[in-house]
Amino acid sequence: MFVLLQDVQKHSVHTLVFRSLKRTHDMFVSDHAKAVALDDQSYKMKMAVKMRAEYKPVLHMPVLKEGRERGPLHASDPYGQLGYPLPGALPHYLVTGTHPYPSAPGVALTAETQMQKMPFLNSGLLPRKAPTMPKPQWHPPWKLYRVISGHLGWVRSIAVEPGNQWFVTGSADRTIKIWDLASGKLKLSLTGHISTVRGVAVSTRSPYLFSCGEDKQVKCWDLEYNKVIRHYHGHLSAVYDLDLHPTIDVLVTCSRDATARVWDIRSKANVHTLSGHTNTVATVKCQSAEPQVVTGSHDTTIRLWDLVAGKTRATLTNHKKSVRALVLHPRQYTFASGSPDNIKQWKCPDGNFIQNLSGHNAIINTLAVNSDGVLVSGADNGTIHMWDWRTGYNFQRIHAAVQPGSLDSESGIFACVFDQSESRLITAEADKTIKVYKEDDTATEESHPVNWKPEILKRKRF
Amino acid sequence: LLSQDQLEAEERSRVQRSQSTALVSTRREPPPYGFRKSWVPRALEDFGDGGAFPEIHVAQFPLEMGRKKRTSNALAVQVDAEGKIKYDAIARQGQSKDKVIFSKYTDMLPKEVLNEDDPELQKPDEEAVNELTEKTRAALEKQVSQKIAAAMPVRAADKLAPAQYIRYTPSQQGLAFNSGAKQRVIRMVEMQKDAMEPPRFKINKKIPRGPPSPPAPVMHSPSRKMTVKEQQEWKIPPCISNWKNAKGYTIPLDKRLAADGRGLQTVHINENFAKLAEALYIADRKAREAVEMRAQVEKKMAQKEKEKKEEKLRELAKMARDRRAGIKAHGDKGGEDTEVRERDEIRHERRKERQHDRNISRAAPDKRSKLQRDQDRDISELIALGQPNPRTSSEAQYDQRLFNQNKGMDSGFAGGEDEIYNVYDQPFRGGRDMAQNIYRPSKNADKDMYGDDLDTLMQSSRFVPDREFSGADHGPRRDGPVQFEEDPFGLDKFLEEAKQHGGSKRASTSGRSKDYDHEKKRRKE
Repeated sequence: MFVLLQDVQKHSVHTLVFRSLKRTHDMFVSDHAKAVALDDQSYKMKMAVKMRAEYKPVLHMPVLKEGRERGPLHASDPYGQLGYPLPGALPHYLVTGTHPYPSAPGVALTAETQMQKMPFLNSGLLPRKAPTMPKPQWHPPWKLYRVISGHLGWVRSIAVEPGNQWFVTGSADRTIKIWDLASGKLKLSLTGHISTVRGVAVSTRSPYLFSCGEDKQVKCWDLEYNKVIRHYHGHLSAVYDLDLHPTIDVLVTCSRDATARVWDIRSKANVHTLSGHTNTVATVKCQSAEPQVVTGSHDTTIRLWDLVAGKTRATLTNHKKSVRALVLHPRQYTFASGSPDNIKQWKCPDGNFIQNLSGHNAIINTLAVNSDGVLVSGADNGTIHMWDWRTGYNFQRIHAAVQPGSLDSESGIFACVFDQSESRLITAEADKTIKVYKEDDTATEESHPVNWKPEILKRKRF
Repeated sequence: LLSQDQLEAEERSRVQRSQSTALVSTRREPPPYGFRKSWVPRALEDFGDGGAFPEIHVAQFPLEMGRKKRTSNALAVQVDAEGKIKYDAIARQGQSKDKVIFSKYTDMLPKEVLNEDDPELQKPDEEAVNELTEKTRAALEKQVSQKIAAAMPVRAADKLAPAQYIRYTPSQQGLAFNSGAKQRVIRMVEMQKDAMEPPRFKINKKIPRGPPSPPAPVMHSPSRKMTVKEQQEWKIPPCISNWKNAKGYTIPLDKRLAADGRGLQTVHINENFAKLAEALYIADRKAREAVEMRAQVEKKMAQKEKEKKEEKLRELAKMARDRRAGIKAHGDKGGEDTEVRERDEIRHERRKERQHDRNISRAAPDKRSKLQRDQDRDISELIALGQPNPRTSSEAQYDQRLFNQNKGMDSGFAGGEDEIYNVYDQPFRGGRDMAQNIYRPSKNADKDMYGDDLDTLMQSSRFVPDREFSGADHGPRRDGPVQFEEDPFGLDKFLEEAKQHGGSKRASTSGRSKDYDHEKKRRKE
């Protein structure tokens, strides 16, 4: 840019310092009482940098409701960040420079040194941010493309094999059937339970299939021989659900005797009995991060357990009715629970409440979630609601027709899972069929627009 | 007699005098016995390690014993770091400080919707997860192995840890303790467990469960109150089974059917039923009419036939009569004729009746004759039919109840027995009256006329017509009382012809009277 007209003279340090001091004096000698005039651009830059560098984690803090209501809504500033307005924009804030004299209230030395009004109107020192409602992500609608019938009773549970080749269903006709995922044909039928099979799970670490039933039995089937090799004895009443720990060889089952039991797979020993619920424990989920075991019960509470000690970590009592369904998000550190009043989302590890997904006013038997953020809730009256996980927007409602020959009242969904590729939804129904859904490829954002009408002020109290 | 202050000063000087560097317990000892005159223990330490002093007349509470404490389970109000009162101290009573308990209103409010890749929502990274996994696995392994070991039989004795040496500095120091030494070395060894020892404690006792952990605060609004209308909607009527009634309740019929829902259904009857009924009725009527008409027609026909036959018969009779009249001389045998005829008619009729009865008894033996029927008739029927009245018997009739008086009140009443029918002592008329009414001739009915032996009389062969004397010739056999000769002159023939021609030409059907025409016929032949 500049052309050096002369070579830089080499001076001693003393000389340089003296020169700089002199220059400073010359610059400021005229009125050093006055504050330095703020340069707009430099100020903006400085604030932006400072905020990003020092206050980045705090930028998105939740705003208290009082603050939002009473404070005036500011237009978002160009940085899209908190409302630290420019000095000239609003007279309410002022970043005061350094004065030799302390600013006393009411004493103004000069017009320029006059301290402006108090910075905040409310007590909360949190910055007020314009509440921008996030737009829900568009998901293609799901449609039914296959109905598999073969069971002679309600299909109560489903599990998909880790290699995505086949899936297993447990039914009220006391059999466990293995179906080919691609074609829907029956591969194998396993008998052994003497009452309804309520839960099935396929192990990712060993070739085992686990099943539990209303006959208090928990069975471990060896899939190489298609035989039962282990029984886990100890439950006092019907076993309603089971789940496998992803990393430890441990099985957790939950039962109508208000306990959940943790079993060592190999030795069949009952490691922990998680008691604390006062009514049937309807659902249990295991994960490798804390909380390792989450149970939902008919006493309307959800308990997060410490697997090491076998004790409750936290009890969530937000639901008003029985919690029959739980699901852990595959990517996020959150989980959701379903009950007839609404579906609630929670944050691990302490179970902090995030939000409600209301609208599915039916007994929710099952929940399933996709990596794309599609949450599926299946109800006892046969309806399926599809939700966007992040915003809670219900983008689709499906009520599939019953199998011909069934009564209309025989529609209900007992279990639903996504397959390992998360592109197919498999549901287990009360009209003795298994229905498979997939995303409708022909739908676009225009054909199925997002009709998002959020409540700006969440005035509902839960 | 030192005051408390002086005592304290003494103690202080004593302490100063003993210039030890070792740890010394600075305890305020009470003054020894005898030196306590104006000394009052005020603080807890003044008691030393003893109790209250009875000679000091002041209320004393060594170790705080004896104070009246108003025990309340109220928690002290606690304040957190920011100065706000900790209201959830109640919810956290029995638990550790760091247990997660949601009790604030803000815990119930929905949080802002965050971006998907917000760091808050991310799972903890791999290492943390692995570490947790290892820790958990180890803990679970330990548990499992303990459980399995408990179940397994006795194995070799565990190798105990080697001895530990501990250097210990007691707080009580002095010449008396530890024989003057300042420190001690202790060798700690684990006690050996007897491998063959059976379990020491009984674990089969069942004890009631302990109290549960304190309940978590309820984080939702209370349920809506139920209105009366809603409660009425959910009312379920009691079940009344059509099959079982265990307690044997008597249930009104409308309630029994109410469960079935039959009363609610409207009964739909096909109208063709009515049509069918009507058609049947019409057909029936028509058939009856047809039958009636046919019967009438037939009756008319039969009547006509009968009349015809009768006409024929009459004509025959008339012919015969005429012939007879023609042959016979004109005499006024009309009157005799009519009487004879009447008698004949009567005889004829009677014969006919007898024949009729015989036929009936032959054809329908079950059908009883009138006589038999009346014999078997019940008394009420006889009365109804107006049969012969009960004969008032000669002797006076007494009420049976007057007899057997010794029976007392029971007589006639028979103690209320319903089965006995003892109102009358004799049958109404018996059967004998009927029998008596009927003329039944005995064998010797004409006894007074003919004597006893009617049979012998009848069989006597003394009075035989044409009895010849023994040895006499057989005279001409006589067929009847008057033996007629053959017609020498053929007058009969002549007269007959004349009669025939004189009258109309009629077939000569003579009457069937046995006596005359039979005779005539013989003559002709």
